[in-house]
Amino acid sequence: MSLVKAKQATRRAFGGRLLELGAENPDFVVFESDLGKSSQSNLFGNAYPDRYFNMGIAELNTVGAAAGMAAGGRTAFVAGYSVFLTMRAMEAVRSFVAYPKLNVKLYASHGGLTAAIDGVTHQGSEDIAFMTSIPNMKVLVPADSVAARAACELALETPGPVFVRLMRDPLYEFYEDGEKFQIGGSKVARKGTDITIASYGDIVFQALQAADILAEKGIEAEILDLYSVKPVDREAVLASVRKTGAMLVAENHQQRNGLGYDLSNLLLKEEPVPFDNLGLADRFAESGNYFGLIDQQGFSAAKIAEAAERLLQKGKR
Amino acid sequence: MSKAQLEERAVELTALAQDLRFHIIDMVFKAQSGHISPGLGAADIVTSLFFEVMNIDPKKPKMADRDRFVLSKGHSCPVLYAVLAMRGFFPVEELDTLRQLGSRLQGHPVAGYLPGVEVTSGSLGMGASQAVGIALEGRMLHREYNVFALTGDGELNEGVIWEAAMSAAKFKLGNLVFIVDRNNMQTDGNCDVVMPTEPLDKKFEAFNWKVMKMDGHNIPEVVATLEAARDYREGPVCIIAKTTKGKGVSFMENVSEWHAKAPNAEEYKLAVAEVRGGQA
Repeated sequence: MSLVKAKQATRRAFGGRLLELGAENPDFVVFESDLGKSSQSNLFGNAYPDRYFNMGIAELNTVGAAAGMAAGGRTAFVAGYSVFLTMRAMEAVRSFVAYPKLNVKLYASHGGLTAAIDGVTHQGSEDIAFMTSIPNMKVLVPADSVAARAACELALETPGPVFVRLMRDPLYEFYEDGEKFQIGGSKVARKGTDITIASYGDIVFQALQAADILAEKGIEAEILDLYSVKPVDREAVLASVRKTGAMLVAENHQQRNGLGYDLSNLLLKEEPVPFDNLGLADRFAESGNYFGLIDQQGFSAAKIAEAAERLLQKGKR
Repeated sequence: MSKAQLEERAVELTALAQDLRFHIIDMVFKAQSGHISPGLGAADIVTSLFFEVMNIDPKKPKMADRDRFVLSKGHSCPVLYAVLAMRGFFPVEELDTLRQLGSRLQGHPVAGYLPGVEVTSGSLGMGASQAVGIALEGRMLHREYNVFALTGDGELNEGVIWEAAMSAAKFKLGNLVFIVDRNNMQTDGNCDVVMPTEPLDKKFEAFNWKVMKMDGHNIPEVVATLEAARDYREGPVCIIAKTTKGKGVSFMENVSEWHAKAPNAEEYKLAVAEVRGGQA
């Protein structure tokens, strides 16, 4: 498996799969808050105008209305930017969707710093923290088009609320068509023996490139794609660190209450190993080029490789 | 229904509304917690809906074409729980479990716990949005059902109410009726002081809603207005219902502290005597 430049962003892949699923399943509906051209939910909306509800720039009412639509068991997708769905509509997601376990699926574009150029107001850099904190909520972050299409299918077929974080821009393709994904699953994106580097979404690609840098120095990193951020594949994490003896988590998110915090808690209880995590260090980013920004904030391939070396120099037990 | 028939029915509905008030007082007294006066104020409207206006069947709580009731002012849930029990959705004895551990009668209503409770509510304004969603589903499926959402007047401070109002007008939801329980009281005082919302009729009209008004305690008028709103299919209707918070128990009427206070044994006796004595 290797990285190929992507022709489409994961938001487009997700929207495209949703359009296809619309033909197979006539029952689900899609809500949008005036970002259909951006989230790409308009692919579905143009094909199925009677099942597509553009509620205007009003995310709270959009999620509330989706909850009403789902009150009798129907599935409703809600498209939008991650920052608005998880913050403007946060209470509706928690109390009116997740609490009664409704089939509302959050289709969240521009996750993390993938909205880099748009600046902090549009960057969903706390979205994983908010969504993983809510009981009954499942959180998926696909890395590429194949994974995004699978996430769309999983969201539709899994009962209860699901949050899917997608990216603004095309990055890379990695998985082969037909690759299987599941709620609570994970992928070993590269096998290694010296250190485990766990990530999700866009940073899986940075971790894979970091592994190349490390390999040149004789360090074999195992790369885990924890695309199911919640529930996380605990067994895969534990199995990997039992082999490698060290864990580095890298994510496009605040360090606080991100995957790194979750895994540090798991490892402290089950398998204490040398550990570090990379992400936004309790600060806001700024607008700028995506690759420049993730490097500035410390989770580019080069920064991941440096952190892995530092962690190994500190020594394993 | 002829005028004479309606007046005869109104006598029965008035008695049922007094029974409903008794249950509200009784369950909040037994729980020693809960909101008493908001329910008392809405009792005549809720009785008219559940015993006269709405198409519902307690034996088939999920019936596809049932009318839906959304209690957006979720804190008033003793009135909802009691009317559902009186109507036969679940045993009346279960009302004694209000707010207790393991009860289906949660402090604020949650969908999926109790038959007849359509949506989760409690955080104000969100019932309105959910009512829009339910009405959208009815429209999409070409079903005949109506959605009645009861909102408070203090609740209208919430911005999402107006987001919901805009969207209901956009989709011309002729199956949606908001009933504003206009008692002019909210937690910190008089609505006109805490956050004025007048002119309310003009606000909803400006949002392209049909506006109707009624005395929320005159049962023949309540029934006639609810039916007129239900039968108006051009778009959403907002009924501004003039009500008295705590209606039916003289010492609770328009007294702010009874919003969320449980009566002691003496107050309980006095309150029950008033609603049982028919002094409504």
